[in-house]
Amino acid sequence: MNNILSKNKEIIVDSSKTIYVSSSSDIRITNNSKLIIYSMLLNTSLNINVYLDGEKAEVELHLSTINYDDNNIEVNVYHNNKNTISNIFNHGVNAINNRLNFNINGYIPKESIKSICNQDNQIINIKNGKSTILPKLFIEQIDSLSSHSAYIGKFKDSLIFYLESRGISRINAYKLLIKSFLVPLEIEDESHEYLKNIDFLGGDLFE
Amino acid sequence: MLELKNIHAVICDNKKEILKDLNLTIGDGEVHAIMGPNGAGKSTLSKVIMGHYSYKITSGDIIFDGKNINDLETYKRARLGMFIAMQDPTVIDGVSSIEFLKEAISEKTGEKVNLYSFIKDIEKNIKDLNLRDDMIHRSVNSGFSGGEKKKNEVLQLKMLKPSFIILDELDSGLDVDSLRECCLNINNYLNENPKTSVLIITHYPKILSYIKPNYVHVLEDGKIVKTGSHELALFIEKNGYTGIKEMVEE
Repeated sequence: MNNILSKNKEIIVDSSKTIYVSSSSDIRITNNSKLIIYSMLLNTSLNINVYLDGEKAEVELHLSTINYDDNNIEVNVYHNNKNTISNIFNHGVNAINNRLNFNINGYIPKESIKSICNQDNQIINIKNGKSTILPKLFIEQIDSLSSHSAYIGKFKDSLIFYLESRGISRINAYKLLIKSFLVPLEIEDESHEYLKNIDFLGGDLFE
Repeated sequence: MLELKNIHAVICDNKKEILKDLNLTIGDGEVHAIMGPNGAGKSTLSKVIMGHYSYKITSGDIIFDGKNINDLETYKRARLGMFIAMQDPTVIDGVSSIEFLKEAISEKTGEKVNLYSFIKDIEKNIKDLNLRDDMIHRSVNSGFSGGEKKKNEVLQLKMLKPSFIILDELDSGLDVDSLRECCLNINNYLNENPKTSVLIITHYPKILSYIKPNYVHVLEDGKIVKTGSHELALFIEKNGYTGIKEMVEE
């Protein structure tokens, strides 16, 4: 069952499920529970705190945002028990010359042995936006795995050329790439409303 | 069909001239092959024809169906009927092949794709190319083997129905069976569309035994130094490009 969280609400997850988050939230996950979170955002700041409280608690977060103004996205993942897993994917499109900041933190304290904390962060600047990514891992336990990556830049010219070489206009090539970048294939069918935001991006952005 | 008149082209980044006064005329329904040593400018030629962002024409004209296309964007060239099967097809994660092709056909024809005939068409072409059924639902070229990528280029060619085709080293990274299948599909397409012209860029004459060229050109240092028939390709296989050099100097 999918839930939409209202602002600043705390949710406690005690089984495996998928939820959609559209505003700042605190999420607690108990023993042996896996939560998949999709967060599809439009020009907003947001703070998500995930607490992996139970043993073998797991979270997979797919956060996507289209940005027009100055916004901050903060995600904190606290591995509060052993054998906990987090896989965090944050993808942002900074449409114009504004500031999009990702501040992404993973915490593994000493007592949380054999935990896994991964984060992948990417921001595509369509124009000359000022974007920053601060991917931070606070790891106190040596018997754990963690990784982080950060990319800020534009879509590769080779991708645009390939699409254009098949007759797809520059603007629609960008839109296809933005769509694939922001919306995971598994929720494409449920994301029609969100995808309309991509269609509204003006053609002059991509010249 | 396509005429290249005195083309000079440079790499945008460092202004190095790659094509130097290149002339080539390809008529309707003709198959031309370009051969040449590494660094002669073969792939540059294919990219310049398609309007690649890395190259700039400093002088000369590209005429396609009577129209100068020097300043035409790549997607507009494709919509005129030009197609390039790339040497190293690009991986586009997250964009499924089916979505990509639907978008490309819709934009090229200016009409909404008829889903029934589209699916029927694509299923037939997938079968003809001996591709896996599920490839159409996967991201474009993602996780594909080298052979699958090249077959996917031929699949796109058959779906987009171009009138001018560039095969940029189609034979590189292809095993003999896959090369034969690709060429068989291209030949079938050419038989159904006899006015379609082809420019084959290759190092090896093998592909030319499947897709028979009307003309073979040797490109060296950015210009065509020798033109002949299929026999020229066989001569190159036997004597190498040094043999051609000696022949030209004589």
